Amino acid sequence: MLKRALAIITLLIIGYWLAQGLAGVPFGEDKMLVGQYYLDNVKEQTGAVNAVTAVVVNYRGFDTLGEVTVLFIASTGVGALLWKRKKERTAETQGSIVLTTGTRLLVPFVMLFGAYIFIHGHLTPGGGFPGGATIATAFLLLYMAFVQYEIPHKAFEKIEGAVGMAYVLVGLIGLAIGGYFLFDWIWQTWSFGTENIGRLISGGFIPIIYTIIGLKVGTELSGIIDNMVKEEVNE
Amino acid sequence: MSALTAIGEVLVLLGTFFYILSALGLIRMPDVYNRMQTATKSATLGSLGVIIGVGIWALGTDFGSAAWLTKTIVIAVFLLLTNPISAHALIRAAYKSGIPLWEGSVVDKYREHIDAKTTETETPEETPEEGGEE
Repeated sequence: MLKRALAIITLLIIGYWLAQGLAGVPFGEDKMLVGQYYLDNVKEQTGAVNAVTAVVVNYRGFDTLGEVTVLFIASTGVGALLWKRKKERTAETQGSIVLTTGTRLLVPFVMLFGAYIFIHGHLTPGGGFPGGATIATAFLLLYMAFVQYEIPHKAFEKIEGAVGMAYVLVGLIGLAIGGYFLFDWIWQTWSFGTENIGRLISGGFIPIIYTIIGLKVGTELSGIIDNMVKEEVNE
Repeated sequence: MSALTAIGEVLVLLGTFFYILSALGLIRMPDVYNRMQTATKSATLGSLGVIIGVGIWALGTDFGSAAWLTKTIVIAVFLLLTNPISAHALIRAAYKSGIPLWEGSVVDKYREHIDAKTTETETPEETPEEGGEE
């Protein structure tokens, strides 16, 4: 009781302190310094209509590489923590027939939608991470509905590594052509799709990077799910 | 205000009305199964009304295009397919985990079915007791 009361009082003090700090920040006013630059130049410099993905992939591409690395480390860490010599799925009850049939019908559409999200990263909200998570959701659905289902490990682990390398490779090509890492060579050097701003074939290397990230995130999260639902079996 | 706008507005109103009904059902109904019944059915219908209604409403305005209606129809079909399946899975999981029926329930054929199965195979399975603890 005393512990709980102390915790509540501490949280209230911290909350009041944060609110005091935030009270000095004016809302609803134009406070953009760098933001205005992004909004003014995003179309000419990157070809993307979606300013967020342009910032994430083009202006601040290095952070995205870091995020992908974090995800990769998370996936590897889960794999290392839950490593057992022999693991199998030990789920006992198959999903009901309604669930399995529904899953069978839905999974292709969920995957299609995930691919749609990451291919259209430069046009619509979303991008590689939501798209990849949607694809992983399709695999989660398969895991939940079927007792026996397992992802094709060989292919998944290879795709995961290959697309991770592809991201770095795209950045290194930029380094070779434009002078710095993750330089958008497709847009800046080739001017590919410059007349097409707002359509699918535009946006420099944003669609390419996001396809890479989408595949990477999708396979990684599926791998994490796979590690988590399996249990050790003793012979 | 064109006819399309009016139709869309009426559909959205109907949809929100069904949303209210489904929220009411959540409060009013006595047990999990009845609640799921009201919540899923009327919420699905309400969502369909609102979603399709927004698509048609947008057609009637000057900024609207057919893209709105296409997108809303895709969303509506997806919802129409997934909502009953999720409700089915939830109810089945609730029954399997032993949540009792409402005390006023008179017949539970599913339990009889499970009992008949378990006497055949001689492997007793946990089934929820009839008659709830309210």
